[in-house]
Amino acid sequence: MTGAVLPFFVAVPLAAAALAVVLPPRLARAVLVATPLVSTAGAVALLVEHAENPVLVHQVGAFVPGIAIPLVSDTLSAVMLTVTGLTSAVCVAYAVLGGDARLRFFPSLALMLTAGVNGALLTGDLFNLFVFVEVMLLPSYALIAMTGTWRRLGIGRLFVVVNLLTSTIFLVGVGLVYGVAGSVNMAVLADADHDDPRFVLAVAVVLLALTVKAGVVPMHGWLPRAYPATSGTVMALFSALHTKVAIYAIYRIHSVVLDGAPDWTLLALGLALLTMLVGSYGSLGEKVIRRSLSWQMVAGVGYILLGLAIGSRLGLAAGLFYMVHHILVMGSLLLAAAAIEQTYRSGQFVRISGLMRREPLLATGTALALLSLVGFPPSSGFFGKVGIVRAAAALDAPERVVVLVVVVVASIGALVAMLRLWREVFWGPSLEEMPSRGSTDTDPIDVPPGTRAPRRLVLPSTVLLVASLGLFLVPGPAWDLAVDAADGLLDVSRYAAEVTGR
Amino acid sequence: MSVLPLTVAVLVAGGTYLMLQAGLVRIIFGITLLSHGANLMLLAAGVSAWRTEPLGTEGASRSADPLPMAFVLTAIVITLAVTVLMLALARIGGDDDTYQMPDTGEDHHG
Repeated sequence: MTGAVLPFFVAVPLAAAALAVVLPPRLARAVLVATPLVSTAGAVALLVEHAENPVLVHQVGAFVPGIAIPLVSDTLSAVMLTVTGLTSAVCVAYAVLGGDARLRFFPSLALMLTAGVNGALLTGDLFNLFVFVEVMLLPSYALIAMTGTWRRLGIGRLFVVVNLLTSTIFLVGVGLVYGVAGSVNMAVLADADHDDPRFVLAVAVVLLALTVKAGVVPMHGWLPRAYPATSGTVMALFSALHTKVAIYAIYRIHSVVLDGAPDWTLLALGLALLTMLVGSYGSLGEKVIRRSLSWQMVAGVGYILLGLAIGSRLGLAAGLFYMVHHILVMGSLLLAAAAIEQTYRSGQFVRISGLMRREPLLATGTALALLSLVGFPPSSGFFGKVGIVRAAAALDAPERVVVLVVVVVASIGALVAMLRLWREVFWGPSLEEMPSRGSTDTDPIDVPPGTRAPRRLVLPSTVLLVASLGLFLVPGPAWDLAVDAADGLLDVSRYAAEVTGR
Repeated sequence: MSVLPLTVAVLVAGGTYLMLQAGLVRIIFGITLLSHGANLMLLAAGVSAWRTEPLGTEGASRSADPLPMAFVLTAIVITLAVTVLMLALARIGGDDDTYQMPDTGEDHHG
């Protein structure tokens, strides 16, 4: 396999998006589900190829290396392509089964989102990263405004303004990098003068923009407000793609362009720990399923960032493994929440109760996924946390005690918050037996007797959960891939040499 | 040569001020100013190295750097598209005050 396949990861979803506009709706929905699956299959083929050939490069338009826009794939990109592709395929399958995909332009918008994600994961150029992030964001603006509750119209403003402001900051950063170093090609920047404070500050502006997009505390406020207002399907899709692409870019830029920059470790550690704490305990203030989960998305960003802040081989691998775990489990939980909301027309704690007996399959799946989120066996969360804790314990610095204590304290917070979600939604009297609270807004919802979530709505969530359980039973291959990816981040000489053609 | 940085500073200051206002239309004007500032910043990375025409006969060593121009062109197109979308959002709610959710006939409990 040569690098010439890489442009197809962007071109095929884009072409499919155009096709989906003109095809009859039924065919458009088939294209919608098939394209991410094809992309996932291609990514798996890339993973196999990377066992022998760690870096694949394509210089778009066959221009001279260093001047051309490169598309680069290494183990890290291929792992991210696989996981995001699989999760988007399941999310859009839910959209088809649950009805969101019947909206006129949903299929082509979701496919455009896939094209943007694939491009952002493959590009080796900072400005191109900006462009692909915009390609991701533009369909997202439309998706957030067309699904979900009416609240989305107000929230859509927040989402657009935050992201446009951040993109502008990102653009300024790219301009500064170009002004200082004379290139925006990441592999060329790997050889730039790292002692030049102007260069480091310019890259810092880029990283600042990416931390906002990733939802790192204290720039997280937009995430738990914006995401729950859209539909469960779209939120699951965004949770797997948007913040994770931003974290991927932080990993990539920090490692390749800044060469791991050890001076910043303390700042990154502080931000990661704060994000974990705020996210884990933030759920306690919420009274709706998906809002409660959105805070756990913030907490997950903290854990992934912690791996980067630790910076050792073990730390990077643990962070990447945690990212894979988090994408799968968060997707599973959000799709389960979407199924509950679609069946019972509400996700509010006061209005639903006692779902455990009513929905045995959904309840079992949600319980396992919640345990996974907190870090209990038998699912991927266990090894995710074990990896992070081992990496933290191996830190040769006095901070490690603080890190370990915060990991435990944050995990307890997540446990309490998720137990509360479980108690409110799945335990308690059944809906029919719940007493009225005297107001139509807070009464238990009135469903016809015998209402159950249809199996087709429960299935997508279960698929992602099975993937997470698989990562617990057979963690070896995934862990090896994470270590491979971490090696690629620690030693960027091969990456730089392949891209610049030296 | 301090004209360009000063212009960027004025644009960014004005943009920041407008972004801190309540109405969405003002925020849109603020974003527009900010993105003008960002575009001038991008030009500053190449304009100061201005030499001669990019496609002249003098060879690559004396020709102008086309890359910042390409950056700016891309950025302008993207900002234009999003600005139009935001203007539509400002209209949909009927009230462009970001303190309140638009009145859409639904109550926002929970």
